[in-house]
Amino acid sequence: MHRRGVGAGAIAKKKLAEAKYKERGTVLAEDQLAQMSKQLDMFKTNLEEFASKHKQEIRKNPQFRVQFQDMCATIGVDPLASGKGFWSEMLGVGDFYYELGVQIIEVCLALKHRNGGLITLEELHQQVLKGRGKFAQDVSQDDLLRAIKKLKVLGNGFGIIPVGGTYLIQSVPAELNMDHTVVLQLAEKKGYVTVSEIKSSLKWETERAKQVLEHLLKEGMAWLDTQAAGDPQYWLPALFTELYSQEITPEEAKEAIP
Amino acid sequence: MSFAWPWQYSFPPFFTLQPNGDTRRKQLAAWCALVLGYCRRQRLHAMTVREAQDGPLFANRRLQRKLPLEAVQVVLEELRKQGNLEWLDKNKSSFLIMWKRPEEWGKLIYQWVLKNGLTNSVFTLYELTSGDDTENEEFHGLDESMLLRALQALQQEHKAEIITLDDGRGVKFF
Repeated sequence: MHRRGVGAGAIAKKKLAEAKYKERGTVLAEDQLAQMSKQLDMFKTNLEEFASKHKQEIRKNPQFRVQFQDMCATIGVDPLASGKGFWSEMLGVGDFYYELGVQIIEVCLALKHRNGGLITLEELHQQVLKGRGKFAQDVSQDDLLRAIKKLKVLGNGFGIIPVGGTYLIQSVPAELNMDHTVVLQLAEKKGYVTVSEIKSSLKWETERAKQVLEHLLKEGMAWLDTQAAGDPQYWLPALFTELYSQEITPEEAKEAIP
Repeated sequence: MSFAWPWQYSFPPFFTLQPNGDTRRKQLAAWCALVLGYCRRQRLHAMTVREAQDGPLFANRRLQRKLPLEAVQVVLEELRKQGNLEWLDKNKSSFLIMWKRPEEWGKLIYQWVLKNGLTNSVFTLYELTSGDDTENEEFHGLDESMLLRALQALQQEHKAEIITLDDGRGVKFF
């Protein structure tokens, strides 16, 4: 008497069945792929029509712009990907972000001597809006981030550092590694940080903490305050909220011309 | 209108002489600008180091920070190098703060003379610095020695002549 399902014969049968299923599976997949491809093409066409119809809206309205770009991302299209091409020509969206990138660079250059090349997204936003004037298109923080990402791709040495729910934008080619970044994040709460705070929050040795702070001092991103009650405090002008929306002085504006 | 303190004045580290060279340069430049701006606003032409230290200029009470004496001296030395400060004594305890150079004062005074059609008039030094007529002018309250230097500069240009009057000195403008 032989048991069912086992034995060389059964195994061979199983293998044959699997192969058949696989074939069928392949056929199915190909079918699906063709369908999806057709749908994707339809998406693209619809998206192009949509873009064409809502061109003004996309240019004028930052929220709408985000949603539109999210839609594009869903089907794997990046309107900013190339300078030429359908999207940027059709919408002029490419130019929009390029121009914004230039503005961002100008603001960062002008304020570099104050903050050592670090600036919060908020302050950058405020200063860019000021520079654009009343009749220019509104830009959102999302727009700024996209423009900066584009600048990064072009090799402009920009960095985006997440801190406490927002971002610090780094515009100078300073060497900032993970240690530096995490200390910046720690400093974001009060605008300053001390060796003891670093040691207790991050569980580091004194030497490691000191090295990071020394580096930030060297890069001009931090200033030393020895008159605090406890430990010396290392303050970052970039996080000093009283500095926000201070007018860019004429001297600083001169710095903005490379 | 009260004095517009720069952002650095509310920034605690501003009152610590910075260890980093580049940052220190920026810090000193900001301090020099602050001292000149403040003295100009308050129409202060001379000060003692003591006064400077005790006043709001180098000490921000709200912030509980003050620039230590050594750092104050560094700032004053910077100003001297720039030509905006002169020590009045060997001990460096008091100084003239010149937010305008003598020639610049001279020019300003002469403009006032022309504007008011006062050429060929004679003034005592007192009238120029403390008279009612000059109350709204920037040179009102100008230190006498500074005034003399300003007038000397004008004298060189033949726009004025310093003369001796009964009870002091005066000047005639041309």
